[in-house]
Amino acid sequence: MPLFGGKHKTPQELVRTLRESLIYLSQCRDRDDKKAQKASEEVSKTLNTMKNMLYGTADQDPQTEITAQLAQEMYNHDMILLLVTHLDRIDFEGKKDVAQIFNNLLRRQFGTRFPTVDHISTKKQILVILVRGYEYPEIAMICGMMLRECCRHEELVRMILEFDEFYNFFAYVEVSTFDIASDAFSTFKELLTRHKILCAEFLEQNYDKVFTHYQKLLNSDNYVTRRQALKLLGELLLDRHNFTTMTRYISSADNLKLMMNLLKDKSRNIQFEAFHVFKVFVANPNKPRPILEILLRNQEKLVHFLSKFHNDRSEDEQFNDEKAYLIKQIKELKPLDEQH
Amino acid sequence: MVDINCPEGSVDFEEEEFHQQLVNDFASVDLFNDDDPLDNLFFHRVESDQIIYQPRQKRAKLIGKYVMGDILGEGSYGKVKECLDSETLCRKAVKILKKKRLRKIPNGEANVKREICLLKKLHHKNIIHLTDVLYNEEKQKMYMIMDYCVGVLQEILESAPGQVFPTWQAHNYFCQLINGLEYLHSQNIVHKDIKPGNLLLTTDAVLKISDFGVAEALDPFANDDTCRTSQGSPAFQPPEIANGDDTFSGFKVDIWSSGVTLYNIMTGKYPFEGDNIYKLFENIGKGEYTIPDEVDALLSSLIKGMLEYDSQKRFTIRQIKAHDWFRKKHPRTLDYVPPPPLPDSDDHLRCMTVLPYLEDLYMNEQTEEEEDYNDEEIFLGTSEIPKDVEQLDEGPTYIICHNKSGVKKKKKRSVSVRKFNFNMCKQS
Repeated sequence: MPLFGGKHKTPQELVRTLRESLIYLSQCRDRDDKKAQKASEEVSKTLNTMKNMLYGTADQDPQTEITAQLAQEMYNHDMILLLVTHLDRIDFEGKKDVAQIFNNLLRRQFGTRFPTVDHISTKKQILVILVRGYEYPEIAMICGMMLRECCRHEELVRMILEFDEFYNFFAYVEVSTFDIASDAFSTFKELLTRHKILCAEFLEQNYDKVFTHYQKLLNSDNYVTRRQALKLLGELLLDRHNFTTMTRYISSADNLKLMMNLLKDKSRNIQFEAFHVFKVFVANPNKPRPILEILLRNQEKLVHFLSKFHNDRSEDEQFNDEKAYLIKQIKELKPLDEQH
Repeated sequence: MVDINCPEGSVDFEEEEFHQQLVNDFASVDLFNDDDPLDNLFFHRVESDQIIYQPRQKRAKLIGKYVMGDILGEGSYGKVKECLDSETLCRKAVKILKKKRLRKIPNGEANVKREICLLKKLHHKNIIHLTDVLYNEEKQKMYMIMDYCVGVLQEILESAPGQVFPTWQAHNYFCQLINGLEYLHSQNIVHKDIKPGNLLLTTDAVLKISDFGVAEALDPFANDDTCRTSQGSPAFQPPEIANGDDTFSGFKVDIWSSGVTLYNIMTGKYPFEGDNIYKLFENIGKGEYTIPDEVDALLSSLIKGMLEYDSQKRFTIRQIKAHDWFRKKHPRTLDYVPPPPLPDSDDHLRCMTVLPYLEDLYMNEQTEEEEDYNDEEIFLGTSEIPKDVEQLDEGPTYIICHNKSGVKKKKKRSVSVRKFNFNMCKQS
């Protein structure tokens, strides 16, 4: 405690003030009345003090004991849940402070334990609320920041992937507000790529559901969505951890047809991304019958098309090698009856 | 008559301008208006003992858009130098490979080709990034532009007291190694030569896995990670290779070598040793090793999991990541082993070595004005640059020749060789 100067609230007092003001804010009908305004100010001020307690300020480093007390007090009073539930009632600066406090708490570690991760694991609603945050433009990006911090922890990602709400992401990445859509996409990507084996298991077990949804993204009218989804698809399929999923994906004739159509998309970037998925179908040494049939039926057209495909990319050696390889593969395809 | 050979490849644009200016400069020097007969100005034979070599001045050299700096290291294939991308101003390293030398190394050229091909596809924080590849057909050289790194983990380890890192530092490196390795394996690549000597560190302590000379890209459609060949460093090879098995799991080879690496950076020792490669392989083949007593139980259980004799039972990356020693927060202690300065330098901060070359490139005008007058000496010189490729990296050789011609003038302007146009003498 400093000798001079204003009264410094203890972590307990801070949490109590924040709690009371938040509850008042959430219950009051008229947000413009004086009392509500006062409560709102109180919330922002308290959040700011808490943030400084956790991160320290220019002239004071964070003190281990006080931060520990604050964290404990937050868990005891379910403050994280309360904060995310009423996030929309908090002013702009306050929202940012919430995200910072949340992220700092998540990083707390004792030995091998992350107390905040344990806390959130027992309160699934926190994650559900964060995911649904993408439906409210005023809090979408803040929720995104917090979600991506959660993605660092396999336990939390596993929980999110198990939610029905996870499939909402397929809608969030397509919303018309560009920054929200791209924020949602980066969270979506993080969820599907960060913890390789967990994600591989998830894709295998939920293959039909995930790829039915995914198909819609690839057919989206939104150029950015289509392009990003296609790129991510390529990354997922070419990741060795997703071997089983890849084998399954490239055995489907519908998927091949889709890629062949995307090869002819009016955008060159989409064509290029589609090429990187299409090549997997062709390079597969054990092509199932339906795939072979399609390739054979289009053999000449494909060779002709590929030999003119993005010829101006002469700098990109790898692309040219791959293209030459595909052309050779397609040329050498033998009709089915000759094969055995 | 002596002629100045400007070294090929050195930066000598503006040369014309230079000379023009020197001609003007020269006229103002009253060297020629001397009382002495002009004959005295002609060159005379200089005995070798009268020649003093001045330290070589740093001369800027550009390869493409990269300004070369000092040497960072040398390998069997050639040198690694620091360089600066003159467009982005990013600090980079360049690996200079000579075809002549590559041919002498078994599989040298093939390995380099494969390495370039692999590196181009890889984009990860903990994998060395290949920015650019330049070729010089004439000199038979290849330049691989990569991330700038301050040191090799092995060198840093050797400079450490007791040849071990403090736990928090080793833990940090190990976690990064595992993250990089997980990415490599996800891209179907087996590194096959993980060891402290192939792990580099950037200025901000990011670990970069490097040297993909013996790495193998697996068939993406193969069901498993079966490999048949290995050319990695013997002390880091697993029992299945030491025993000469025909096929083995590739990913598990990297896990084993990472285990030996962890053992090495935490204890300063190797789990398996031998006077020669046969003894070494015999010892690895037996799979018996001891973990020093000072290693705590948690770490020793991780090491045991990674140095598991049976590759089937050996830890996977997921098991390593789930292991408590990996997950544990190892509090930062005050001891820290920094990257040592470069040999022949005492710069612990590892400042950019390209700077002196840049000064040469842009500050020349200034040095000319600052040049002081010297009563004793006239700078004459020749710069005979041998046609040897190697020498092209260096600037001209300066010869200082004491003036014995009895020139009475008190003030003689010392003229830097490079700016002295000898043809002038001829004409006069």
